[in-house]
Amino acid sequence: MLEFAVSPPFDPQTVGIPATAIAAGVPWLSLSILFPIVGALIVPFFPDQGEGKQVRWFALGIALITFLITVAAYLDGYDPGVSGLQLSERVSWLPDLGLTWAVGADGLSMPLILLTSFITALAVLAAWPVTFKPKLFFFLILAMDGGQIAVFAVQDMLLFFLAWELELIPVYLLLAIWGGKRRQYAATKFILYTAGSSLFILLAALAMGFFGGGTPNFEYSVLAQKGFGTGFQLLCYAGLLIAFGVKLPIVPLHTWLPDAHGEATAPVHMLLAGILLKMGGYALLRFNAEMLPEAHAQFAPLLVVLGVVNIIYAALTSFAQRNLKRKIAYSSISHMGFVLIGIGSFSSLGTSGAMLQMISHGLIGASLFFLVGATYDRTHTLQLDEMGGVGQKMRVMFALWTVCSLASLALPGMSGFVSELMVFAGFATDEAYSLTFRIVIDGLAAVGVILTPIYLLSMLREIFFGKENSELVSHTNLVDAEPREVYVIGCLLVPIIGIGLYPRLMTDSYSSSIEALVNRDVVAMERITQPTAPLIRSSPIVSTLIQAPAIPQA
Amino acid sequence: MHSAADYAWLIPVLPLIGALITGMGLISFNRTINRLRKPVAVLLLSCVGAAAVISYAVLFEQLGGAPPVEHLFVWASAGSFSLPMGFVVDPLGSVMLALVTTIAFLVLIYSHGYMAHDKSYVRFFTYLALFSSSMLGLVISPNLLEIYVFWELVGMCSYLLVGFWYDRDGAAHAAQKAFIVNRVGDFGLLLGILGLFWATGSFDFQGIADGLSAAMSNGTVPGWAAIALCLFVFMGPMAKSAQFPLHVWLPDAMEGPTPISALIHAATMVAAGVFLVARLEPLYAQFPSVGLVIAVVGAITCFLGASIALTQMDLKKGLAYSTVSQLGYMMLAMGCGAPVAGMFHLVTHAFFKAMLFLGSGSVIHAMEDVVGHEPVLAQDMRLMGGLRQKMPITAITFLIGCVAISGIPPLAGFWSKDEILGQAFNTFPLLWAVGFLTAGMTAFYMFRLYFLTFEGEFRGNDKTIQSELLAAAGKSADDGHGHHAESVHESAWPMTLPLAVLAVPSVLIGLLGTPWNSRFAGLLNPEEAAEMAEHFSWGEFLPLAGASVAISLTGITIAVLAYALHRIDLGELVVARVPTLNAFLANKWYLDAINEKLFVRGSRKIAREVLEVDAKVVDGVVNLTGLLTLGSGEGLKYFETGRVQFYALIVFGGVIAMVVLFGALGGPMT
Repeated sequence: MLEFAVSPPFDPQTVGIPATAIAAGVPWLSLSILFPIVGALIVPFFPDQGEGKQVRWFALGIALITFLITVAAYLDGYDPGVSGLQLSERVSWLPDLGLTWAVGADGLSMPLILLTSFITALAVLAAWPVTFKPKLFFFLILAMDGGQIAVFAVQDMLLFFLAWELELIPVYLLLAIWGGKRRQYAATKFILYTAGSSLFILLAALAMGFFGGGTPNFEYSVLAQKGFGTGFQLLCYAGLLIAFGVKLPIVPLHTWLPDAHGEATAPVHMLLAGILLKMGGYALLRFNAEMLPEAHAQFAPLLVVLGVVNIIYAALTSFAQRNLKRKIAYSSISHMGFVLIGIGSFSSLGTSGAMLQMISHGLIGASLFFLVGATYDRTHTLQLDEMGGVGQKMRVMFALWTVCSLASLALPGMSGFVSELMVFAGFATDEAYSLTFRIVIDGLAAVGVILTPIYLLSMLREIFFGKENSELVSHTNLVDAEPREVYVIGCLLVPIIGIGLYPRLMTDSYSSSIEALVNRDVVAMERITQPTAPLIRSSPIVSTLIQAPAIPQA
Repeated sequence: MHSAADYAWLIPVLPLIGALITGMGLISFNRTINRLRKPVAVLLLSCVGAAAVISYAVLFEQLGGAPPVEHLFVWASAGSFSLPMGFVVDPLGSVMLALVTTIAFLVLIYSHGYMAHDKSYVRFFTYLALFSSSMLGLVISPNLLEIYVFWELVGMCSYLLVGFWYDRDGAAHAAQKAFIVNRVGDFGLLLGILGLFWATGSFDFQGIADGLSAAMSNGTVPGWAAIALCLFVFMGPMAKSAQFPLHVWLPDAMEGPTPISALIHAATMVAAGVFLVARLEPLYAQFPSVGLVIAVVGAITCFLGASIALTQMDLKKGLAYSTVSQLGYMMLAMGCGAPVAGMFHLVTHAFFKAMLFLGSGSVIHAMEDVVGHEPVLAQDMRLMGGLRQKMPITAITFLIGCVAISGIPPLAGFWSKDEILGQAFNTFPLLWAVGFLTAGMTAFYMFRLYFLTFEGEFRGNDKTIQSELLAAAGKSADDGHGHHAESVHESAWPMTLPLAVLAVPSVLIGLLGTPWNSRFAGLLNPEEAAEMAEHFSWGEFLPLAGASVAISLTGITIAVLAYALHRIDLGELVVARVPTLNAFLANKWYLDAINEKLFVRGSRKIAREVLEVDAKVVDGVVNLTGLLTLGSGEGLKYFETGRVQFYALIVFGGVIAMVVLFGALGGPMT
């Protein structure tokens, strides 16, 4: 093993990174990762009288500046038209291990970085009422901010693994300290599930990094150039699928989520739904689809089928749930099904849809969970049976709930509709699959279109409609939404509606990266001569794929 | 020189701006805005009014023979896929624009009176403007996908407005039902749109039709698939236009305020389905079998609606089933390949049915003074009667509406309905018979409504009937605020003025569509109009028209005998002899019961079972694993011997195993 230690210094030219891409300007990404972490480290020393009244302003400032840094990164160093890596920075860190501090952003990561800093800033605002150990709380939130940006920004698989693991600890603590009644159980379940599954990431990372002998190198660009054998790819793919499937989550690896979401407080909730789930989807695109294209070609039908299972299964469980938080938690699982179908489709339209669905659900899920928290603050119960007629006193809250629920059920004019439509249309026109398979999948996924309003609207009805529940009114103070809450939801609604009205606002920022990714997968599809499942794949694969997706102009 | 059509995009945008201003105001400064009733009403009225002015300019331009105008921009794109959005103005669209803005404007005026006592007056106006905007957007949509967007938005507005009085359980239930039943239709519509996009690569109407016929002729799309796609798309109109079996939401939607029932659930939104079928005429014209399905569905709906309307005691529900029935007529026309006739009936029906609903609203508003704000009482005709003396304007306009819908010449309904029946007679004689029979039933139930409401003695103060009705609805009588008026009075001018205005087109507009010189057909389809005028012969027209008038008169006569002169007692004659028939109709063909049992309870049961599985089986395995780990940990701790050699041995074994594994599986690529 010693021979690895004397590896020559890594030369970026050999792996196809143009030297100019390593920007000489402001290191925006490193800044956006390190700034909130440094801010978090200051939090314990920040003067505060104990109620959190001062420290929350400090945390909000840090989170907002982080958001501005990411926005500046987008405006200054990011060109949406380029498909490759941008804003990249490389610092050799532990050359013996092949570990480099390599960060960068392409179309897959840039939107999610923006989403992360955006949602975190709003989560800090949502955490305004936290009075129990506020310093620790804001410390963890800010640390998470940096960690999550790192997950999306790093360009080295070992670093990715580290960031992925590091971000678990704040979540664990946030769950275990500020959670509901069963917080210990939920937090333990969460950490066991995710830590256990991330073992597969480490295994896959090591295997991929050491593959082919020579210097171990974990950089994405290098890994993508290595020609892995198909068997090796399948093995790595399966391991990574489990790891990311837990995070996304994919049924049946989802059972940590209702517990974790059911016990978390509103701001943590927003982060869990808004960002953490997206890590799974991002990683699936980044590693499974981008680096293991041959295996992806084999596994894609499985992803699609699992996506449909997610949609229908979770929609049904959500419908039957009587606990408000768990209901919304299951609805998140259901929406993630569209991401899976999009990733599994070999069309840039479908994969773009998956990407948009992640962003869209990040916004909509965060808004719904925020509202759940705000409602709980007033009703002190999450059981739907104990609510009813709340709309009489909380009119503005009712309006906000209605708008966010409509967004979640993919009403046109909001982002959810566009992303689901793109997935539907992308999969329907995807020549990689046989017609029957496409009809069945699109048909079943469309059942979700019926199920989603059923559970969301019946939820609204049980909370807000009808006569006031006299028992609830007698012992609670149902004050209407305060300006801070309206503001948080307003901030989330602006991008939701903006994307819904003109989706190219968002899709243009990543479409070239997605196209490059899909082309890679399609080429890999062609190379596979024997279809895994003749029933699913259409027979004239090669001939159709070469021109696919050949869509006549309208 | 720009034409008015170039500014047609302003038509939906203006009400939208109005709705946004007041909507944002409501969220931000709830109390202040709620007090500013007049300014809000004036703002929204001027927005809709301006939209109406542009609409009429566009309509007159089209009447003058201007070519259709289309403006597009790229809305979404990915890869080689690009999706244009924009707007199109053509004769069909311009007719709808004028119709929707007119009725929306009148309904806004009417609402000023109807909602005067409601504390959510401003919210109501905001929703109305939002709806007008979505509906107008639907009308000018240039492709199927944009139609789908607005289709859902009008559905959302309908949801919000049906559930407007959200403290009423009935309204909450009805709103949810309306949205979900419509989603079932949209499910089909969405799949159909996607399928057509797959088959033709296009979303716009002509492109789909041409693409599909091309794809079928070169064999890429089999015939059955094309027909299936057409039928899938048709599911959308079935739900929106309340066609059997997806009509169940419309009568329940009457829980909403009456102006809504007039605007959304009679004149405009429910007609959107018919409008979409008319838009897709180039597609559907290729498949006679699809046309047959549409015609049969229309005929069934038409008969079903009328038959249920026969026994309804709730004034608004009676009108609602009548709407269902009339929508069936329109669909029948579409299925017979006569979209012009269907659209003509849509227009005439919109005027007189809006007027009838607004009239019923006027009645209910008046009744509420006597019996209180309880829909079970205020809408029940058993408590009405004799209202003509007190409410002459409402009564006269309602009577005009009844005559118009019954198909008595020269009022509007006669011309349009007769044209549909004539087309059906030539295409599907059997379905003509159904429509013909329904025409008689229509006349009967409409005059039944009229006589029960406006003639005879006023029964509103009869406490025994009141308590019986409340008991039947399962509600307790609350005598807490029993200081009601003794008699009703005519509504204020904001409510009677729209009635009077709508009476004019209800009487006259039919004359635009006389079969020998149809201006209406001349606008929509000049060739067809010329052909119609050429082939017109009194010898063909008179027998059919005479038969329709005769059966209508028969229906009216029975109604007069039973409810005005009390010469025949239908209770004795029919109900006593065939109680099953009466029960069948009174229970709305048992469709709601089947629905409740099969779908509502069924879906709840499945959902509960899935959750059970999730909690017990899927999560059970996880928790079991947790327990096992605990157990095995307890066992394994005895292996912790503290001897480093032992650990090294285990690690070494692991490495060997991995090396073997990787060697066997992958191996470096060459």
